[in-house]
Amino acid sequence: MTKSLINIAILEPSQIITEGLSNILLKTGTYSKIFKIDSLNEFNTKLFGSQIDIAIINPNQIQNKLKEFSLLKKSLSDTLWAGLVYTFFDQHLLSQFDRIINITDSPESIGELIHKIKNSDYHSSNGSEIEQLSEREIEVLKLLIKGLPNKEIGDKLNISIHTVISHRKNISQKTGIKSQAGLTIYAISNKIVQIEDYLN
Amino acid sequence: MYRTEKYYIKAEMKISDLIFDNPSLLLLLENLELDLISGERTIEQVCLEKNISTSVFISIANLFNGFYPTGEEEFSSADIPTIIKYLKNAHNYYENEKYPEIRNCIEELYKRNSSPEIQLVGKFFDEYFNEVKEHLAYEDKVAFPYFYKLYDPSASQGQEKENEKYSSNEYHDHHSDIESKLTDLKELLLKHIPVKNDRIIRRKIFINLSDLEHDLNIHSTIEETILIPIVSQLEKKID
Repeated sequence: MTKSLINIAILEPSQIITEGLSNILLKTGTYSKIFKIDSLNEFNTKLFGSQIDIAIINPNQIQNKLKEFSLLKKSLSDTLWAGLVYTFFDQHLLSQFDRIINITDSPESIGELIHKIKNSDYHSSNGSEIEQLSEREIEVLKLLIKGLPNKEIGDKLNISIHTVISHRKNISQKTGIKSQAGLTIYAISNKIVQIEDYLN
Repeated sequence: MYRTEKYYIKAEMKISDLIFDNPSLLLLLENLELDLISGERTIEQVCLEKNISTSVFISIANLFNGFYPTGEEEFSSADIPTIIKYLKNAHNYYENEKYPEIRNCIEELYKRNSSPEIQLVGKFFDEYFNEVKEHLAYEDKVAFPYFYKLYDPSASQGQEKENEKYSSNEYHDHHSDIESKLTDLKELLLKHIPVKNDRIIRRKIFINLSDLEHDLNIHSTIEETILIPIVSQLEKKID
């Protein structure tokens, strides 16, 4: 399943700039949620309830907090850290960021940044672009939609119950479908099983 | 969906302006049993007049506009009747309007594309709808009377049965289940089941399902971020 929602946190004292940036981000057409925050500390709180994919920060905010910032980067290693630059900053300070957004950047280049994030997530979680089920997964799927419990599926295919569970997880991730009834329809549409077995 | 073009709603705004900006809010008025026509009156005026909690109105209206509660809002037990009124009427809307509407569309779909898959989609939807009805009945008969009694101990408990006690875990599990089956349906219609003369009706179903999903999302956000915190505070007080 592709990761569709992107969480973006903005740490920028100017409200005008924050609002403008939010607008550009939302107009990129990606389903994103934007959090406006007031200090670095807030990244550590559970405030967001979900992972932050992109953090956009005014470099002033980390000026005297380099240690804190590098700890933060370590603890939130999946986040992309972008510096938002509209005045002169020391090169060393800017080198702390994964990427720099300049105030003169076009909205398109900011859009590209988001799409890149989205795609890298997509690849790392799925390995390939085509979401095809493996042969083993198809075998599991066939038994699954007959209503067999995990244990019996494992026994029939000579694999452990944990392997069955992990196949099931992959099947749901690749197809985007979780319920048994939904997977049955999937299997019929994709000609994995014959319809006759399931009607009435 | 997150939409910045929508207003962040405040008490002094005129109700009619809100509706012009986002017509889905008509459903909010219906669920709170407020008049469709409110002339030039503001949220605050109308709520006061109809004995509706202004802060609850504003939080729900903002959810419709894509703004989630920040956690800074202050709610109290006095807000419980407004929240329950909203939720109960929303149940009625799901059960008697939205789900039947989608059911009819699926029948229409089957007329155009009489494939076995669509037949199974109908079956899937019926089973799903039954589960939803069970959950709604559970809320109406068990959860809401329990919440209401916390607010007003003199209220009668309704038809509570011995074996049906309210549990907040069960409450949450039901919700995620309802939302995930809806996703299954959307995935099937958009990615897997071949289209056969059914493009227009499929669009209608898809939009209906997305509307319903959005509304259910608002519904469970109200329950989980507004109602449940008030309830747990009351429960603590009693213990």
